[in-house]
Amino acid sequence: MSQTVLQAENLTKIYRSAERDLVVLDHISFAVEQGNSISIIGPSGSGKTTLLGLCAGLDTPSSGTISLMGFKLNNMSEDDRAYIRNQYVGFVFQNFQLLSTLTALENVMVPLELRGERNVMNKAKELLHRVGLGDRVHHYPSQLSGGEQQRVAMARAFITDPKILFADEPTGNLDEENATHITELLFNLNKEQGTTLVLVTHNLDLAQRTQRILRMKGGKLVQDVYSPSIAR
Amino acid sequence: MIEYIIKIKRKTKTIFTDRWVWRMAWRDARHNYSRLILFTASLITGIAAVVALDSLNRSLQNDIDNNAKELLGADLVVTGDKKFAPEVKTFFDSLKYPQASEADMASMVLFLHNGQSRLIRLVALRGNFPFYGEIETQPANAYRKVKRGRYAMLDETLASQYEVSSDDSLRIGNSVFKVAGVVKKIPGGGGIMTTFTPSVYISLDDLDSTGLVQFGSRVNYKQYFKIYSEKQKAATVEKIRPLLRKHGYRFDTVEERKQDLGEGFQSIYRFFSLLAFIALILGCIGVASSVHIYAREKREEVAVLRCVGSSGWQAFNIFFIQIFLLGIIGSIIGSVLGVSIQQLIPFFLEGVIPFELTFAISWQSLALGLLIGTVVSILFSILPLVGVRFVPPLTVLRTDSQPVRVFSKTKITAIVLIALFPMAFAAIQTKSIMTGGMFFLGLVAALGCLAGVAVILLMIVRKFFPHRAGFIWRHSLSSLFRPNNQTRVLMVTIGLGAFIISTLNIVEQSMLGQVEFTGQENQSNTILFDIQPSQKDGVVKLMNDNKLKVNQVVPIITCRLSELKGRTVDSLQRDTSDRVPNWALTREYRVTYRGSLHHSEELIKGKVQYKSAVNDSIFVTISEGMEENLEVKIGDSLVFDVQGVPVKAYISGVRKVDWPKDPPNFIFVFPNGVLEGAPQIYVTATRIDDQQQANRFQQELVMQFPNVSLIDLRLILGTINDLFDKLGLIIRFLALFSIVTGLVVLAGAVINSKFVRIKENVLLRTVGARTRQITQITLIEYAYLGLFSALTGMILSLGGGWLLTKFFFEITFAFDWIELLTIGFGVIILTMAIGWFNSREVITTPPLQVLRKES
Repeated sequence: MSQTVLQAENLTKIYRSAERDLVVLDHISFAVEQGNSISIIGPSGSGKTTLLGLCAGLDTPSSGTISLMGFKLNNMSEDDRAYIRNQYVGFVFQNFQLLSTLTALENVMVPLELRGERNVMNKAKELLHRVGLGDRVHHYPSQLSGGEQQRVAMARAFITDPKILFADEPTGNLDEENATHITELLFNLNKEQGTTLVLVTHNLDLAQRTQRILRMKGGKLVQDVYSPSIAR
Repeated sequence: MIEYIIKIKRKTKTIFTDRWVWRMAWRDARHNYSRLILFTASLITGIAAVVALDSLNRSLQNDIDNNAKELLGADLVVTGDKKFAPEVKTFFDSLKYPQASEADMASMVLFLHNGQSRLIRLVALRGNFPFYGEIETQPANAYRKVKRGRYAMLDETLASQYEVSSDDSLRIGNSVFKVAGVVKKIPGGGGIMTTFTPSVYISLDDLDSTGLVQFGSRVNYKQYFKIYSEKQKAATVEKIRPLLRKHGYRFDTVEERKQDLGEGFQSIYRFFSLLAFIALILGCIGVASSVHIYAREKREEVAVLRCVGSSGWQAFNIFFIQIFLLGIIGSIIGSVLGVSIQQLIPFFLEGVIPFELTFAISWQSLALGLLIGTVVSILFSILPLVGVRFVPPLTVLRTDSQPVRVFSKTKITAIVLIALFPMAFAAIQTKSIMTGGMFFLGLVAALGCLAGVAVILLMIVRKFFPHRAGFIWRHSLSSLFRPNNQTRVLMVTIGLGAFIISTLNIVEQSMLGQVEFTGQENQSNTILFDIQPSQKDGVVKLMNDNKLKVNQVVPIITCRLSELKGRTVDSLQRDTSDRVPNWALTREYRVTYRGSLHHSEELIKGKVQYKSAVNDSIFVTISEGMEENLEVKIGDSLVFDVQGVPVKAYISGVRKVDWPKDPPNFIFVFPNGVLEGAPQIYVTATRIDDQQQANRFQQELVMQFPNVSLIDLRLILGTINDLFDKLGLIIRFLALFSIVTGLVVLAGAVINSKFVRIKENVLLRTVGARTRQITQITLIEYAYLGLFSALTGMILSLGGGWLLTKFFFEITFAFDWIELLTIGFGVIILTMAIGWFNSREVITTPPLQVLRKES
């Protein structure tokens, strides 16, 4: 029996302001099993990124609960959630989010170094080689193209062998060729390492490559379908 | 699924055990040189100022301790403004210690080689003065010649001013003296006072032959003693004290001189400490400001680290380590720089202090610099850095995410410590909690006022924004309101420098205004005094012959107080509960008589001096301030001893006297019909505008009336100018620290807002702006910033200068627009230069390169 790695129950997020309350997420519930791939789609402002942030423990819900790897994130301190992320989670962002002052190699090494692991350089180099950047390990992000930066970000995300990988529009800033390359890498690594994949995207072609699609609209989960059949 | 909560068992590492944060600190710092150098520069300027001045103070203290005996030249010196009374002389003779005598007085000297003359302090010496230290002369045997008689030696400044050489002769009173040489150093002499009244030295045996000591002459007498042991000195002081008090003489010992000097320098040191304190606080502002901007820039980086698992403390520690280590490096550089600067300060103080400053490295000052630098870098970086702990990881997805917690224990502790730090530092520097508190309050008030003026100025600019002005002028002005531009901080820091320099200028102008005669046609600028009654008509005739207007001829009678409010001076002196100072009771008063007020006087209480027709009672007026010293009010009685004749008088009124206006002015003024028969001398005044006419007149005066002295107030004006040049240089030098700190903060703000500027410039270039236009926008923006900073400082300096001149110096407030505008212009140019220098990359980078970098 497969294990539930992520479970959201009645997840609600409200942004309060002096004028009015803005309900960004409205009672969202779903669960993701280990090794599955899932994409969250929907128009701009539908709450996709907010949902991703909550699931990854980057933010806390106004109400409802999130369990990640069996840990209930709601009751945890920010530092405990950071620890959970370091142990089980990987991230890929639309704008790469590499540390500009670190080389490609150092960027990839950071998550393992944070764990206190030693001799991580070889593993980082291997991963960079795996994503096609074996000869660019000592380059700084500013010396790399967008596609190359995203590959470094992928290597950083996978170096901890995460149980779950969150990707926010991973190909959003890339040209078609690079986007294809990144997509292949993402799914290959997902498959090889058995990582659960949660994708937020506007790209339906990309979404269709995942096993399951959640469609958001106005902060509500309006559709939860398993690929390949999805209403366009 | 069953809900369960698992307690996370993560190991929390401290900053010392977490190797990763040290590694990250190094990795991150490699690419932040420019930003971190600015932080260090702010610290360096502040620490350099503190170390330089602390080190100077320690040198001064050491030199005072080492030179104490040489400063007095003896173990004990008795001084008086009248010849020593027979009783006192008998006591001196009974003492078996080596003694030396001195008499000094104001006199005219005529330089026979060029016919010029000027007022000098004539010092007549007898005996083996000094007992400690030595009189350094050029040539070395000059003092020996003087002791033999008919020779004179003079201060080096006087000799060089009048180009006197060894073969020349001087005429002092009725005698002619050959010049034996110049005095380079003399115990108890030197310092700033020699600039006002340079001295000529002769033998005391020659004094009578000059004929200068006549009735009414003001002569100071000194008797020097060398006493072999401290015990003997204490016993002598014990015996001599009541005797001297009785006759109105004073005494000075090495310890008292040392204490006086120490207190004198304490004031200078406190003033320097204030400047160092300001420089340090500005440095702290610079540190906090650059770390604040640095921490903001690091938000996204921190958010990424939080995403991949870094704790808040780990993120904080990365940047804290950078700041801490750089703080130590900055403190070391600042301390070394401070010690180097200290070498320059004696050059500025040359001629201001009465001894040579020795240079020694003060290890305590260096340690102080290191300690304060480290404390400042920790304290003033914690507050801006603590926000790093609370950067939400969500920032990676939404850059505008706000932290959940705004306050933390660390933040509150940092705020409390930051508030306490300036007070503690000032208290340690000035060795007084009270003064430290005053410094702190003064600083808060000054910074508050500066910030207030800055805010008001910016509000006015916003309210009256020139919407119709050309694009370049409008755009560069609106750039001041760009987020993160630190405009207010810059206006306060650069404005503080402008404030210090402008205030100094205003005080200087106000002081010079007191003795400035230009344009005041009827004001006297030459005073002739010590005119004997038999010489009065002759002097007036000489003035008329030289076509000089005789502004006034005032009789002066010397007298002393013998009774005050029905009590004798003796009994008042004995009464320990009496608060009237001894000097006010025993001093010689020079009074005059007239029936009305002089135009420099204003009656503020009671009536003008008069003689009562009913009972012949005499009513005199007293000057404002003196009535407080003597604790008298209208109607109180006084008995004056006028050359042995007791004259009883009552206070009729209090005059406010504008002392510098048309001198001489007097403390006591008698009515007509009382003192006409008393022995008296005269003072007269005139105005001479032509230097040649002045020289001619002085020469004739000295030849015909050698005992009559002349004060050329224009010379005093020149001396005050010199004094301000010297002191002003020191103050300007120190004010420079605050300007430099302001500019460091400016450079920091420019560099840190570079990316916002790049975006703007790319947009401007995209829509067709040329490099020249972008350069203009940049330069005008900094010109605005410089202008508003200068205005902030100068508006406040006008207020501060007015308060200082009115309540502290009690002189008329005056300022020179042109000089203030020059200061303002200088600030604007400096600001533009720094702004432009740091913006070159922004201006010259091609748009495509910028776009690629941005993407």
